[in-house]
Amino acid sequence: MEFSEHIKTANVEDVVLRQTLHPPSRGTLCVTGHHLLFSDREEGSCRQVLLLLRNIDAIEKSVENLLAYSCPFSNAGHSQRISGSSGTISIKCKDLRVLHLDIPGMEQCLNIARSIETLSCLEAVSEMYPFFYRPSNASLQDQWGLSSPEKHYSQMTELHDRWRLSTVNRHYSVCPSYPPAVIVPKNIDDAMLEKIAKFRQRGRFPVLCYYHRKNGMVIMSSSQPLTGANRKRCMEDEFLLQAVIDGSDKGYIIDTRSSQQALQARITGGGFESKSGYSSWKRLHRQMERGKALQESLIKLVEACGDESHNMDRWLSKLENSKWLSHVQTALSTAGLLAECVERDGHSVLVHGSEGTDSTLLISTLAQLIMDPCCRTLEGFLALLEREWVQAGHPFQQRCSHSAYSHARLQQESPVFLLLLDCVWQLWRQFPLALGFSEALLLRLATEAYASNYGTFLCNNQQERCVLRVKENTRCLFQALLRPRERDGYSNPLYEPTELAIWPSVHPQSLQLWRGFFLRWTPQARHLEEAQEEIRNMIIEWGKLALS
Amino acid sequence: MEFAELIKTPRVDGVVLHRPFMPTVEGTLCLTGHHLILSSRQDNTEELWLLHSNIDSIEKRFVGSLGSIIVKCKDLRVIQLDIPGMEECLNIASSIEALSTLDLLSLMYPFFYRPMFEVIEDGWNSFLPEDAFKDLESMTDEWRLSEVNKDFSVCPSYPPLVAVPKDVDDDTLRKVATFRHGGRFPVLSYYHKKNGMVMMRSGQPLTGTNGRRCKEDEKLINATLRPGKRGYIIDTRTINVAQQAKARGGGFESEANYPQWRRIHKAIERSNILQESLIKLVEACNDQSHSMDRWLSKLEASNWQTHVKEILTTACLAAQCIDREGASVLVHGTEGADSTLQVTSLAQIILDPACRTIRGFQGLVEREWLQAGHPFQQRCAQSAYSNSKPRQEAPSFLLFLDCVWQILRQFPCSFEFSESLLVLVFEHAYASQFGTFLGNSNSERAKLSLPEKTVSLWSWVNRPQELERLTNPLYEANSLVIWPSVAPQSLLLWEGVFLRWNRSSKCLDEAYEEMVHIIEYNKELQNKVNSLRRQLAQLETEDPLLQTP
Repeated sequence: MEFSEHIKTANVEDVVLRQTLHPPSRGTLCVTGHHLLFSDREEGSCRQVLLLLRNIDAIEKSVENLLAYSCPFSNAGHSQRISGSSGTISIKCKDLRVLHLDIPGMEQCLNIARSIETLSCLEAVSEMYPFFYRPSNASLQDQWGLSSPEKHYSQMTELHDRWRLSTVNRHYSVCPSYPPAVIVPKNIDDAMLEKIAKFRQRGRFPVLCYYHRKNGMVIMSSSQPLTGANRKRCMEDEFLLQAVIDGSDKGYIIDTRSSQQALQARITGGGFESKSGYSSWKRLHRQMERGKALQESLIKLVEACGDESHNMDRWLSKLENSKWLSHVQTALSTAGLLAECVERDGHSVLVHGSEGTDSTLLISTLAQLIMDPCCRTLEGFLALLEREWVQAGHPFQQRCSHSAYSHARLQQESPVFLLLLDCVWQLWRQFPLALGFSEALLLRLATEAYASNYGTFLCNNQQERCVLRVKENTRCLFQALLRPRERDGYSNPLYEPTELAIWPSVHPQSLQLWRGFFLRWTPQARHLEEAQEEIRNMIIEWGKLALS
Repeated sequence: MEFAELIKTPRVDGVVLHRPFMPTVEGTLCLTGHHLILSSRQDNTEELWLLHSNIDSIEKRFVGSLGSIIVKCKDLRVIQLDIPGMEECLNIASSIEALSTLDLLSLMYPFFYRPMFEVIEDGWNSFLPEDAFKDLESMTDEWRLSEVNKDFSVCPSYPPLVAVPKDVDDDTLRKVATFRHGGRFPVLSYYHKKNGMVMMRSGQPLTGTNGRRCKEDEKLINATLRPGKRGYIIDTRTINVAQQAKARGGGFESEANYPQWRRIHKAIERSNILQESLIKLVEACNDQSHSMDRWLSKLEASNWQTHVKEILTTACLAAQCIDREGASVLVHGTEGADSTLQVTSLAQIILDPACRTIRGFQGLVEREWLQAGHPFQQRCAQSAYSNSKPRQEAPSFLLFLDCVWQILRQFPCSFEFSESLLVLVFEHAYASQFGTFLGNSNSERAKLSLPEKTVSLWSWVNRPQELERLTNPLYEANSLVIWPSVAPQSLLLWEGVFLRWNRSSKCLDEAYEEMVHIIEYNKELQNKVNSLRRQLAQLETEDPLLQTP
């Protein structure tokens, strides 16, 4: 397919760009296969806006000027009417930015709109921009990714006694959404794993996520067991979990569904670990919202943030109705529970919901940030995301294909990753010294997950990435963020490592709307970053002073 | 009266004190005429010294012979004292109740307090109207300082000296005073140097139902207009409330009699509604139910944020009229001692960079609240926990401070002071060892001889060690007008006051200190660089060979 087929009008002059916080500017608009480029023509300024088409969530066309020209007293002919009219395209982006383009000429306006509509939701991954992005300062020979399961395992020497690296999934045949290598208890062989995989939804058998050095306890994750209505059992699965708590009296299973939901799941073939089969495991149910409900919550929240009625009651009740902050609270308190089981109670925990690719990853990631100082550095956090989200098979492609503005029917979209970033922001706000990275990093990740120059968040799992040769053909975001010039902006100038666990307060009064993200492009955000910026400038100045 | 009469049990041993986010302390509880003191008699434990006047309400609980007193303070802190012995507990409780509700001003602690610090500058003389007028004189000669109220007979709530238009004589002022609520005739509140426009404030005109008019009043306010220019009257009440006020003798300026003025009505709530709002808000903040929905709907139901927004919006409007429209403004509500002052003082924060300095802010509070006759004694007699029937209490001043905090948060580099100054002023408005916020007006303060008998809060503040604590490390003087966003999404709950005792501030304090440290280190380095540069320059002039060709 040629992109040019979709571009009827590639260039328009005299376009006016209107955007909050900027004065309107007049210039040229170009549409390419992957970008919308606006460049200012006015003298003395050289504003350019380069927007990935992939970043566009929805567009709206309006042709308000037409009315004026078609009034009955006008003598103008039909053709004149069209050429003299103009249209406005409102572009709503996945990073929540909103742009308005006033385009002279109806036909041009409609052509541009059509191109944007088509090009912004092309499905073929291999046609996406990361496969074309070639920055001058990096070559494709650079290492892709920060680590691999093999490397991770070899670094964790204290694991080697009781845990082994299994390559049972090297052809992605046992579990398509798992990486080729995973860490499992030493006395469980690959044949058993294959059997267990059949007993867990989509083959996601229990694997190690986190080893707590202080007391040797672990966090495991998996998907739900397929017990079904007739309470099927799997001896190997029970055996694996028994091996996990070997030497300890019990373990906890945190099920991210309510017990009611878990019961209902049996009807569709799912289920939960019964007392009889897993006598040493204590099950805790915490209902976490997922999928569609979460996406709807985001849509409502963003709508509330854009509300211009200037009515405090309306804002607060819309904020409440969106339930977003409740989801943040639930995620943080469930992660707190998980960390408490491991750190305070001294027991190992298995986490799962149904598929084990969303809320499971969310709380295991947050619990690791709470407990493990290594995850709180810039590198550590990115490595954690790589391990627990990219490699562990969070379906980014499906979850992030649309954001809050899209009119398209909801399919598998869900802002789980965004919810994670919000929760991390809450941690950062409560512990301003404990995290080595800044809010800017969280904002960048929130944008990149939805539209990116890099290949990191492409596809739904490692298998798909392997098929499309993502590693060979795209750049890695995490590597790019760690380059000296970039990392300055993403590190926290106040960072002071602490060995202690950071227990967040989950009182509703302690949690706040992440204004930096949700109100980022609104006029209210003008001054949010001023103080941060000030501190950052000082740090940069120091750097210069130290060099000179 | 002797305090001793009210104290049946002056001391109890073995009392346990519970405070939020602090370890419990066991020790001896002592009651004095003004303080509740708990001391563990160990060197390293902090003692509790609590002013009785800071206590808003108490609750008693008994489990067997162990009694507990829950003390709720006006600064919104809640502490618990476990007292062994039923009788001791009841005695202590009744003493606290009696001592914390003494009405007699002359028995208040400020009259007994002797400063333990060196007074560098007597705060009672720091912000005199005549000094403020000198500044005004340097900018314009259109105003004069009138002594018409020198014995407080024309307007009991005004200071002895007020600034009025030069062409208006004292007789006229006396006539105008009879036409304005509480005798509060229009006086100068702020002079905008940039364009010479002014803001005035007053009480409502007493037009009554039959539309009384007062030529002198019209003359006075017209005297502030430039030829051919119009002015704005900002009435802080809705048009309905203003209409209803006529029935009770009040009213508003009609278009017919004030043709050069455009009236704008805004809706800032009156005292009892604000007090209820505060009570609801604090109740919501202390809610322990862990439900996000409940918290957000309680926050909404309290309406506090709505009040913040209304006040800020009105202040922005006043500032806009002056700075952007180039028009003079008269602000009033009913009495002109609450919402009026909120608007005039906030408009100055927006317009005048001087008000954003530590000293300027003190001056603003002194000018626009204390001397302007905000009845602090009545308004701050009770806070959010009190069980007694509210009389004239209202958190007007706290709302003003909240609004300043909102602007400070939006412009973190434009204020010389940090949030701490706002919290400090809030605490002292409700309970203090200083005399600054005693009494309802200048005349009451003069009768009580406060300047002679008590210490001013400003004497305490204006010392290097305290100033250092209150300074905003990010401050960079900004001479511009700062326009805050008043969209509901931009306004936050003031955690520093309302969640202060519900959260551990350790991590936030540490971060703040780290930031201060970074800034200081940066300054040090810059100084070093400058001195090295100077050295280099000197060496170069001394040794021409070093100069690069």
